[in-house]
Amino acid sequence: MDKQLEKLISLHDLDVMIADLNRKEIRDREVDMGLHTEGALEELKGLRDNYCKSINRKWRGLYNQLTRHYGNAVVPALVGRCTGCLTRLPTAVCSDPERNLKIHTCPTCGRIIYWAD
Amino acid sequence: MKYTAVCEFELLSKSREDAIAELLALFSIGEKSRELLAMALDIREQVGATVVHKDIALPHCRSILIDKLTIAVGRSAAGIPWPEKKVYTVVLFISPVKHNGPEEHIEFLGHIASCIRDSGDKIAKVSHKDELLNLLGLQLEEQGE
Repeated sequence: MDKQLEKLISLHDLDVMIADLNRKEIRDREVDMGLHTEGALEELKGLRDNYCKSINRKWRGLYNQLTRHYGNAVVPALVGRCTGCLTRLPTAVCSDPERNLKIHTCPTCGRIIYWAD
Repeated sequence: MKYTAVCEFELLSKSREDAIAELLALFSIGEKSRELLAMALDIREQVGATVVHKDIALPHCRSILIDKLTIAVGRSAAGIPWPEKKVYTVVLFISPVKHNGPEEHIEFLGHIASCIRDSGDKIAKVSHKDELLNLLGLQLEEQGE
């Protein structure tokens, strides 16, 4: 898999983690389970800032732009479709065994696409 | 029962990282996905260890790398340093990122919290895989599912 694509997927998961700890329902459940969430959010944000620096400026910019617009910048392709907007993706790209070796974007919504291995 | 899980009742791992890798290896996912999930789970542990009642650890996250709630349960007779406390039971779960939000994740957090609250002491003493899964309100995932 393209290293920048890996980083973008991880950045997305990190953003989900931050969003989750910002949700009262999730924080309450975690506390109910006996977990301590104090300080975790700030620490995650710090880790995110550092992680962002390792991502190419072009992809980081696109990621931020897509996140602002859609709420999610990276989506998996499923049965030949972008799961963000359900557009059918080009067959040549979907059938390429090396499709994850470069970053592809959806021709309609522009989201960053990856194929689950 | 509503939730299915894979289970390794005799974990061999001697560290948190290895235990997470050992449990992730039970899932039918690709190597790269496993690697990225291990990283996400490790980040979550770094900002606050997920050790709860009676030496149980609950490594968890939500990820776009999976498409359904994915649960693995592990047990170690010798215990695993997590890293400050030793844990004997590990319930690892990853929820998918869905358009309609984290409802499924919140629901499962509630489920597992209630099981631990009601049966935490029993979970710590179980001697059989089926008993452990039963106390956690889980059923064993059939092979090939």
